[in-house]
Amino acid sequence: MKTFNLPDLGEGLPDAEIVEWLVAEGDTVKVDDPIVSMETAKAVVEVPSPYAGKVAKFHGQAGDVIKTGAPLVEFDTGEGAGDEKAADKDGAEPESSERKLEPQAVEPADDDVGQTGEERADTGTVVGNVTTSDEVVRQSHSSVGGVKVTPAVRALARKLKVDLGSVEATGPEGVVTSSDVRKAAEQGPTRKPAQTREAQPSREEPRPARRQADTDSKPEAPSGEWEPIRGTRRTMARAMSESHARVVATTIMDDADIHAWQHGEDITVRLLRSLWAGAQAEPGLNAWYDDEQNMRMIHKGMHVGMAVDTADGLFVARLKDVHSSDRRQMREEINRLRDNAKNRSIPPEDLKDYTIMLSNFGVFAGRYATPIVNPPCVAIVAAGVLRHEVVPVLGGMEAHRTLPLSLTFDHRVCTGGEAARFLKAMIQDLQKSQ
Amino acid sequence: MAEITLVEAVTLALAHEMEVDPTVVVFGEDVGVNGGVFRATAGLQQKFGDDRVLDTPLAEVMIAGMCVGMASQGMKPVAEAQFEGFMYPMVDHIVNHAARLRHRTRGRMNCPVVFRAPWGGGIHAPEHHSDSNEATWAHFPGVRTVIPSSPSRAYGLLLAAIRDPDPVVFLEPKRIYRWQREEVEDNGEELPLDVCFVLRDGTDVTLVTWGAMVKETMEAALELEKNGVSAEVIDVATVAPIDMETIIESVEKTGRCVIVHEAPKHCGVGGEIAASLAEKAIWHLKAPIKRVTGYDTIMPLYRSEMNYMPSMERIVSAANEILEFE
Amino acid sequence: MAATIASFKVDFFQFLDEEGRLVDGVQIPALARDTKQLESLYRLMTLTRVFDKKSVALQRTGKLGTYASCLGHEAAHVAIGSAMREEDCFAPMYREYAAQFFRGVKMSDVLMYWGGDERGNDFSGPKHDFPWCVPIATQCLHAAGAALAYKLHGQPRVAVSVVGDGGSSKGDFLEAINAASAWKLPLVLVIVNNQWAISVPRAKQNTARTLAQKGIAGGLPSIQVDGNDLIASRWAMDKAIAAAREGRGASVIEMLTYRLSDHTTADDARRYRDQDEVDSAWKKEPLLRLRNYLTDQGHWDQVKEEELLSDCAERVNAAVEEYQDRINNDPQPIDSMFNYMFKDLPHHLEEQREIARRFPAKGGSH
Repeated sequence: MKTFNLPDLGEGLPDAEIVEWLVAEGDTVKVDDPIVSMETAKAVVEVPSPYAGKVAKFHGQAGDVIKTGAPLVEFDTGEGAGDEKAADKDGAEPESSERKLEPQAVEPADDDVGQTGEERADTGTVVGNVTTSDEVVRQSHSSVGGVKVTPAVRALARKLKVDLGSVEATGPEGVVTSSDVRKAAEQGPTRKPAQTREAQPSREEPRPARRQADTDSKPEAPSGEWEPIRGTRRTMARAMSESHARVVATTIMDDADIHAWQHGEDITVRLLRSLWAGAQAEPGLNAWYDDEQNMRMIHKGMHVGMAVDTADGLFVARLKDVHSSDRRQMREEINRLRDNAKNRSIPPEDLKDYTIMLSNFGVFAGRYATPIVNPPCVAIVAAGVLRHEVVPVLGGMEAHRTLPLSLTFDHRVCTGGEAARFLKAMIQDLQKSQ
Repeated sequence: MAEITLVEAVTLALAHEMEVDPTVVVFGEDVGVNGGVFRATAGLQQKFGDDRVLDTPLAEVMIAGMCVGMASQGMKPVAEAQFEGFMYPMVDHIVNHAARLRHRTRGRMNCPVVFRAPWGGGIHAPEHHSDSNEATWAHFPGVRTVIPSSPSRAYGLLLAAIRDPDPVVFLEPKRIYRWQREEVEDNGEELPLDVCFVLRDGTDVTLVTWGAMVKETMEAALELEKNGVSAEVIDVATVAPIDMETIIESVEKTGRCVIVHEAPKHCGVGGEIAASLAEKAIWHLKAPIKRVTGYDTIMPLYRSEMNYMPSMERIVSAANEILEFE
Repeated sequence: MAATIASFKVDFFQFLDEEGRLVDGVQIPALARDTKQLESLYRLMTLTRVFDKKSVALQRTGKLGTYASCLGHEAAHVAIGSAMREEDCFAPMYREYAAQFFRGVKMSDVLMYWGGDERGNDFSGPKHDFPWCVPIATQCLHAAGAALAYKLHGQPRVAVSVVGDGGSSKGDFLEAINAASAWKLPLVLVIVNNQWAISVPRAKQNTARTLAQKGIAGGLPSIQVDGNDLIASRWAMDKAIAAAREGRGASVIEMLTYRLSDHTTADDARRYRDQDEVDSAWKKEPLLRLRNYLTDQGHWDQVKEEELLSDCAERVNAAVEEYQDRINNDPQPIDSMFNYMFKDLPHHLEEQREIARRFPAKGGSH
């Protein structure tokens, strides 16, 4: 008994449907006699018998779908059963000894497989066999430093020299679209976060809850709605992650006793000046570290990157030339910064190239902190809320105004001793009356 | 939006551009009535007429030469070579003329022609029908070599190639002509030439490839994932000129690189990429660069074809080899 | 002053008409009376047809890769092969099995080739014959080169090449004519014009009245014959080969026939041509008329026909078995990819062979 499995009908299709059997179980067939009509994607194909013998058993009826390679029909090919030796012709037709004027049915005949007659599905090629599948793929979004984007859009950004991190995403679920990229490209190549000039809040309107569908199957629905993080908040997420990944942050904390200050002293100016004092004692904290090239640049001057909290989000804006500015100049710089922040117009050049950082959260709450160093800087100082501290002095107690300070430094390149000496020099300067 | 195969995306792009740009013509053997032997131009002659889609006599030199002629006179011919293996007579006109026209006339003339051909092996075809010799074209200055690997990229890159004012050899991986469907919007949006497409983000090893090998490479990435290895997959797409920036950026992140191509190893495009990496990213490399390629033999007849083509196993093995370096 | 300094004519020859009757009013070649030889050639034509049909069936049942059928071309091909001597050189395209069978190539060789095994190209028959040639018309220049070699060495050998109507548009063909003319090569170029180049009909190749006249343009004697008439085709070949062998140079023969099959088993000609045209072509097919002629002459009958068909079936089946036996029980090892690159394996390939051995493909092909 021989089993004939459904062959690949030349299109790489996974299966075919039986249209009709051209023989009956029990019939005797010769090799290449057509035995069944099978339907593939578009048309009907006649399958010839691979064996001579008796058709023993069908493995399906009209309408059944047979997988390629699965059994189609069984043959009983016992010895001498209707085989080639007989006077049966293999693929020819009866002819009389008289000449015939019509073309003989050598072909086309019923058993002329594949030449004419039955329909064949379009193989879509002229040689070989091109595998066909109906599997559908979708381009997946990848996450590039927090930015969701398809490969095509990412390539476009590369082509147009657009930093994806600076692009406002308008696609669903926070995806950056190609038009987002093109729009950003019109504003020129970008490297750092660019603030928006339009008046729009950094928080978006709640979007239709796409994620709600996910929660349908969960036992409790969350009480809020998912919304994408965009703009400066997204940039912050990225920058903080990167800092965390690279910087080895260590923090020293201390207080400066500022009871000797004059009334109305400009605290920001004093902080700035004390930073320079610290750098003069320990220049290593006023430096840039390139961890890829393993090089360090100690700055001769100082530009302080000051953390500014605006309605649009967190920026670090540069106060220039702190090392060479006098009090008045520093105050002017600070005011300029404040105005720009209020107008939401901090120019791009003021968002980079600072040599050390300062964060003054003293207007809010909090004493000490572990602020984040933004590479390539190696140090940041945070000043907390002023408080009155009871201090023992000769003969009694006094309440002194105290300024809490936290110095976080990158321990890959600065030592604890350097940091401590820097802080000491800072405090010494701060504690002067003016 | 239709879900279409890669070869259908080729048809879609051609139809789109022929509609909006009357200077685009399709020129080749069996492209009109028959719609091309792979049906890449199916329906186009019926829609646009036989003065836009021309069935040519059987003569590749004629096809290439006449396309140079047409292109220099304000037309945008899209030539079809029936198989990459039959493109070789065209080298004379592509290299000596199409690639040189702008340069030697100092910009007075240019040659906006696309030479399309089904490319690569794996369809059990008779001999000469399975070549992948993109390195040959890539080596010639003045002509771009572009290879799509998905329906959407075929659509977008072919539009870009047709619109580009300079010659492009556009090689279509026939093994994946109908392998998958993808939603492709017929919006006329081209994709950028000269840039890589990062198909999968990863951190441990960069897998660089193009064409049908994207299939095996993505499979390898999934296989590596099972062992906790995160592989980044880059589809180079334009193999000349190559966007090395994207590849270097990736290798800076991962430190390891495997380049996969079906074409023979010697002087393959993989060598170009490896040399550039060695030149520009050596300090980021943690391990040698590996190439998984076809062998430097003639492409065997189909019974041995799959022994020749780089397999998922070979890619995984190469990646694992260099992951051992630290 | 104006004068006609050259003009041309193309003669067409047919001796056996579509009904299998000798044509009136022309001198009939001696071959028409050599019924023994005609019968032998008819047998070969029939064997080829049975083989061809079987090959298509093998492809349809997944046992053979893409195959190029020769249905309808049997007379032309047998005429070509049988006019040649063993020491002559044949540069085929990819359908001329009957010519090759005459020269000793085995049916199983053909199956091996289309079955994806290079050993098919290392076929039986003359060792100097060229293997099947896929890049169109390139074989014409190979034959021209062989012809030049014979001429340079003073050997009375002839090179014969076949090209299709599509191939006649190609530069290689025209350059072969040119070379044959320039060097008076012992070459016979046969255009087997079966009216179709895949989907492109003859009328779209060019508007010349004949393809033969391309030979005249190059300075070669060129004629057209009915390619379904074995007598005319063979007669033309005999003349051309004699001329070449005797140092009188090359010639072009255009044999008119019809491609009754699809271009290959993956093609479907119904996409681009009318069934009426095909049906009408069947009425002119070569086996029919020869059989009728032989029957008329009293040399053929139904019994002989049935015996012949049965014998052919046996021989074809034996060939198929031989092919399958070789493919299944003696497949080429992976190394074979490497072992025939150069005479000695270069070092860099040793390394690659090792890789290939380590990663054998899973699963098989056909």
